[in-house]
Amino acid sequence: MSPLLSVSNVSKTFEVNGRTVTALDNISFDVAKGECLAIVGESGSGKSTIANIILGIYGATAGSLTFDGAALPAKRTKDHRRAIQLVQQNPLSSLNPRRSIGASLRLALDVHHIGDIKGRTARTGELLEEVGLPVDFRTRSPSALSGGQRQRVAIARALACQSELVVLDEPTSALDVLVQARVLKLLKDLKQARGLTYIFITHDLSVVRNIADRVAVFEKGKLIEIGETETIFANPNHVYTRRLIGAVPVVSQEEALLRDRIMEQENGNA
Amino acid sequence: MTAPTLKIENLKLGFKNWAGVSNVLHGISLHIKKGERVALVGESGSGKSVTARIVLGMLQQLKTARISGSVEFEGINLETLKPASRHALRGTRMSMIFQDPTSSLNPVYTIFALFKEVLARAEPGITSERARQRAIEALADVAINEPERVLDSYSFQLSGGMNQRVMIAMALANNPALLLADEPGTALDVTVQAQTLKLMSELVEKHQTSVLFISHNLGVVREFADRVYVIYKGNIVEQGATAELFANPQHPYTRALLSAVPRITGGGIPDLDDDPGQFLAPLVAHPSYSEKERLA
Repeated sequence: MSPLLSVSNVSKTFEVNGRTVTALDNISFDVAKGECLAIVGESGSGKSTIANIILGIYGATAGSLTFDGAALPAKRTKDHRRAIQLVQQNPLSSLNPRRSIGASLRLALDVHHIGDIKGRTARTGELLEEVGLPVDFRTRSPSALSGGQRQRVAIARALACQSELVVLDEPTSALDVLVQARVLKLLKDLKQARGLTYIFITHDLSVVRNIADRVAVFEKGKLIEIGETETIFANPNHVYTRRLIGAVPVVSQEEALLRDRIMEQENGNA
Repeated sequence: MTAPTLKIENLKLGFKNWAGVSNVLHGISLHIKKGERVALVGESGSGKSVTARIVLGMLQQLKTARISGSVEFEGINLETLKPASRHALRGTRMSMIFQDPTSSLNPVYTIFALFKEVLARAEPGITSERARQRAIEALADVAINEPERVLDSYSFQLSGGMNQRVMIAMALANNPALLLADEPGTALDVTVQAQTLKLMSELVEKHQTSVLFISHNLGVVREFADRVYVIYKGNIVEQGATAELFANPQHPYTRALLSAVPRITGGGIPDLDDDPGQFLAPLVAHPSYSEKERLA
């Protein structure tokens, strides 16, 4: 089966104060339909740059992307913009504070002409129910919602226009742990129910371990390791991956044992 | 037995607003002995940061705050102190590290100017040469290789991890008895966070500083603290030695929290069958660590 998204030999450089900074250096990977690919790395690793290129916010300096078998140009068609959606880290700044929840969802439907005009209001209610929120939240403003509820609205908005690929940029890192668990569960259920494909950008490896099918590790603009989640966590190949796993704060003894084992490999190789 | 570094008893806090008083803390009690690292862990809005602010005396000046209960620092009830003597304690005997180091360092002064100001709190009229000398020593303690360069830099020229190390060095420069650390690693990358915590933990051990460590991250708490208080909606719901509490959580809220943390060993996203009604169940104190016993 051909991949939903394929990124080949993508590089991106920025001009900063007359100097050229390489943000991405010859990146290639595929994302299959229905999978969740996690992109992990620390700040400055290029994980947000690759997300922006996939979303079409800016073009790549070199390399090409294909989506659903066809080339994905830097200037996107309306259909591309509909199919690839984004959920950001902080829903308080990604939802318009002056617009009711219903109006925010409605806008997504209007822009992409989803359904007939009369049915759209009802559709926003269905979307809210789908993410586990009551229908009467339509009339509320984002400030009247809790962080978890707002993030659910952001997810509903990304799903409103029948998107196929959702880029999740640190979707739960601003949330409390109990809320995080519920939002992750929701994401997992939605993926199953709608056959969605996720690109999950995060620095939290314990979340990655439990939601991603595959992991891509970025360091300083390079893709240093990519593989099945299970394999990477059981046997990380690259020093930097081992170091990342070794730095995760853990809550149980068995996790600590796994981490110690990985760090031992690290010291053994050094 | 000497007085504990910090002893909070039945502390209540409410904020007066147009609708009456909204209560934030419902009578919490905790203590920190000399050299002990104690964590206060809870979700946002549970009252952990306000507790630190009361200890520092930053909320008492607020007109809308309604505070009762006692806070004793090294055996002295802070309520009985005059504002000037409270002021004298801050930055000398007790100091604080905040979550975001880059926004807590003033960008228009060099690190050295800020450092000198901190040192002058304990030693008024300190000369620039001596301040520089002591700053260099303090920076060496937090594993900063080029202290001279760092001292002449501004905070925006340094990385987040570097700034947080500068903050730690400043907070410990006057050898305080109590360090209040409010989410000190949250804004940092995970490898930097791990280094920072390790460093902080070595330093407080060396200086025998007591620490009140405030965090929502259970993993970080497990790495750093000797003892843990779990706070939920302004009530302490469980307390105990770190190893004991993490191995055998008793309170429904602590159990829910721990089960909600994704594990690096896998196991999927947990199903939460929690019932928030149970979260307000009474305090569970692990046997070896009940308040009374430890203070007797």
